[in-house]
Amino acid sequence: MTYEGGTTVGMLRVMSRRGDDRVTWDQQKVSANDSEALAAVREAERIFAQERAKGATAFRIDQGKPAERIEHFDRTAEQIVLVPRVVGG
Amino acid sequence: MIGSTQVLTTLGWLVIAVAISPVVWLILQPYLRGWSRAERRAANLLRDMLTPEQSRQLLWHGYLEVPSPSSADRVYRVPRARGGFVQVIENGKAVMRLCIQPVERLPDADVIVLHKLMIEANEEHYLQKANKYLCVDQTLPPDS
Repeated sequence: MTYEGGTTVGMLRVMSRRGDDRVTWDQQKVSANDSEALAAVREAERIFAQERAKGATAFRIDQGKPAERIEHFDRTAEQIVLVPRVVGG
Repeated sequence: MIGSTQVLTTLGWLVIAVAISPVVWLILQPYLRGWSRAERRAANLLRDMLTPEQSRQLLWHGYLEVPSPSSADRVYRVPRARGGFVQVIENGKAVMRLCIQPVERLPDADVIVLHKLMIEANEEHYLQKANKYLCVDQTLPPDS
C-alpha cells in the first residue's frame, strides 16, 4: 500500500468479532532496520503464527493481483488477511 | 391514598416499559448493529477488497458473484445476508448450494470477504469443507 509521499506500508489484518484488527509496518523503514518498524513486523509475525496455529488461513493481497494463499509470513506483502477456520454449516 | 395511587401508576408505567423494551430493541437492533465499530471496520475491509462493480452488485442485487478460478463456466453467488447459502452456478444454472461458515462469529461484511478469498485462492479446500446440497433443474432468470 503506497501512501502520499511514497511511504509503502505493509498491513496484517486479522478477522475477528471486533471487525479486523490491524498491524502495519513501514516497509522502507524495515529495510533501513528502523527498530520501531522491525518491532511492528515482529509483532505481526507473532500474531500470524498464533492465528495459523488456531487454524486460520492466510491470504496475500497485492493491488492488481489475485489473492494468494500463503503458509508463511511475508513482510514484503502489501496486505495479509487472516481468516478464521471454517466448517461446513 | 393519593400516594398509593401515584406508586401504582409509576409501577404500571414501569411494567409497560419493561414489556415493550424487547420489541423496541428488536426494531432498533439492525440499525445499531450497522453502526457498531466492528461492522464499520468490516465494511472498510470489504470496500478495500471489492471493485466498484462488485460493490454495486452487492448493493443492488444482494449478492456477490465470484468466478471460479478453476472453471470458466462456474460462478459462486455469495449472499449479503447472514445465514444464506452460497449458490454454485454453472452455465447459468444453479447446480449446488453450499453451507460453510467461520468457527468464530464475524461481522457480516467479513463473512463476504472470507468467502471471496477462500474461493479465489483456496477453492479446493473451500469445496472440501462446505456442506453441499444439490439443486435440481433451477434455471436462473436471464436478468438475475
